[in-house]
Amino acid sequence: MNRRRNRVGRVLANGGVLVVVAIMLLPVLYMLTMSLRTPTDIAQAPLGLPLDPAWENYARALPAMNYAQAILNSVIITVAVAALTALLGSMAAFPIVMRAGWWTRIMIMVVALGMATPNFVVITPIYVIFRDLGLLNTYPGIILAYAALNLPLAIFFYIGFMSTIPRELLESARLDRCNDWQVFWRIVRPLLGPATATLSLFVMLFVWNDLTYPLLLLTDPAKQTVTISVYRFVGNQNVLPDQLFPAAVLGSLPLLVLFLIFQRRIVAGVTAGAGK
Amino acid sequence: MSRRSAIAFAAPAVIFLLVFFIYPIVRTVQMSLTDFTGVGDATFIGGENYERIFTRTDYLEALWITIRFTFVVVVVQTLAGLVMAALLYRLPAIRNFSRAALFTPAMMSFVVVGYVWQFIYSPFSGGLNALLRSVGLDFLAQGWLGNPDIALYAIAIAHVWMFTGYTTAIFLAGYAAISPEIDEAARIDGASSWQRFRFMELPLLSRSFTINIILSTIGTLKTFELPFIMTRGGPDGATQTLSLEIIYQLFRNFDFGFASALSAVMLVVIVVIAMLQNWYLRKREDAV
Repeated sequence: MNRRRNRVGRVLANGGVLVVVAIMLLPVLYMLTMSLRTPTDIAQAPLGLPLDPAWENYARALPAMNYAQAILNSVIITVAVAALTALLGSMAAFPIVMRAGWWTRIMIMVVALGMATPNFVVITPIYVIFRDLGLLNTYPGIILAYAALNLPLAIFFYIGFMSTIPRELLESARLDRCNDWQVFWRIVRPLLGPATATLSLFVMLFVWNDLTYPLLLLTDPAKQTVTISVYRFVGNQNVLPDQLFPAAVLGSLPLLVLFLIFQRRIVAGVTAGAGK
Repeated sequence: MSRRSAIAFAAPAVIFLLVFFIYPIVRTVQMSLTDFTGVGDATFIGGENYERIFTRTDYLEALWITIRFTFVVVVVQTLAGLVMAALLYRLPAIRNFSRAALFTPAMMSFVVVGYVWQFIYSPFSGGLNALLRSVGLDFLAQGWLGNPDIALYAIAIAHVWMFTGYTTAIFLAGYAAISPEIDEAARIDGASSWQRFRFMELPLLSRSFTINIILSTIGTLKTFELPFIMTRGGPDGATQTLSLEIIYQLFRNFDFGFASALSAVMLVVIVVIAMLQNWYLRKREDAV
């Protein structure tokens, strides 16, 4: 009797939580269904379903958003930032872990300050510096800016992971006449693989979705990222649903697909990054 | 490791941080003491910009709006994440699926979330009003983002929606660290689900609280995108956050000096609040 009541309770609890989760997903579902409806259709039935899908919404949005170019721009910037951040971050963490000294504390303080500092605090001087150096509207410019912004997190992240590498492993490599550079490339870097994957996903998520830096540093439409393309295509005055929703879907799609594939790693990475 | 190679390894990152982080911070402070407009010469005007911030009600108002927004978001998001994590901990069958589903909004950009929620809140064919009408709550329907008393909270809900999955995931990671033996012992002692939550899990989750609260506070204090997209700071300045004010001073008024002063104030506010929270929450962690 008691056991049966337990089982009924368990089914109800599972069902109840799933209903809450479904409600949380409603805006995503809303975005998907609305992207296939015409404005008149929406005006008549705001909550209706796309029984006669308006694929032309996408056919119009794709070229108007310059979607292919925007994706390419986002990929170039995101991948370059992730690679640069991982390389410089792991290199900097190596001596901090291996040869701690008076300077270690300073580095760690700068890193902590860097993680708390919002990009707004440095955005004015970054804009001025970039303008004076001719880095506005260039890929290298925005890549450098993002790399600097994410570097503190990367260093912090790698310090945590490197501390877990057994010292004996590195000592024995040294006995085999490896110099520091070889120890780093042949032994340390391969061991950091999972950490690098986690960090890179985190950095790429941030860079891909960021609005502020490209809005200020990349005003050339040919260089705009996917996020900016959504922002500009939808515009702000009269938001038209047949523009808004396809743009929203197209803007989210690449990361949502990536998330579906790497779901576990991304969630684990975010929580590991937060927990360190 | 030799001293020379230690320097060689750290040098690229150090140079990077000096050029793109330390130097800009110094420049921010420097510019904040001038009337720089982006071009031409900057005249030193001392603390005039700061005086303007602390004597004019609109800027204090922006600061106050930012703090209120952050407070609401952090409290609701932390509680929602805690409740979801506590439930999912007890329901292993749907745990992984639900965690991923709740996390989905965090994969979308602020731009997309902002636009989609702007439409949901729209007074005409927006989803929320349509939903309220369809269940007979017509009297509640309104222009959510057009009402100065409601707009900030409407944006806060979109923000919470986006990041509750994040908080849930961090709490679940905290749950994963609770040893099964303790849990088992509590069960054998006949502790009810609520008792286990209140007297065992809550104290053991104190570290997750610290991480969640500090992360969401820092993240929300600097929020700019959602109010920028959804209301442009309106109606009647009701959603004009500090970061929005900085961007407007920079690119509408070209008042680089004043924008820098606002940025410096923002950094101080964030660092002070983060340090206070860190101090208090760590103390609390040690107490349990």
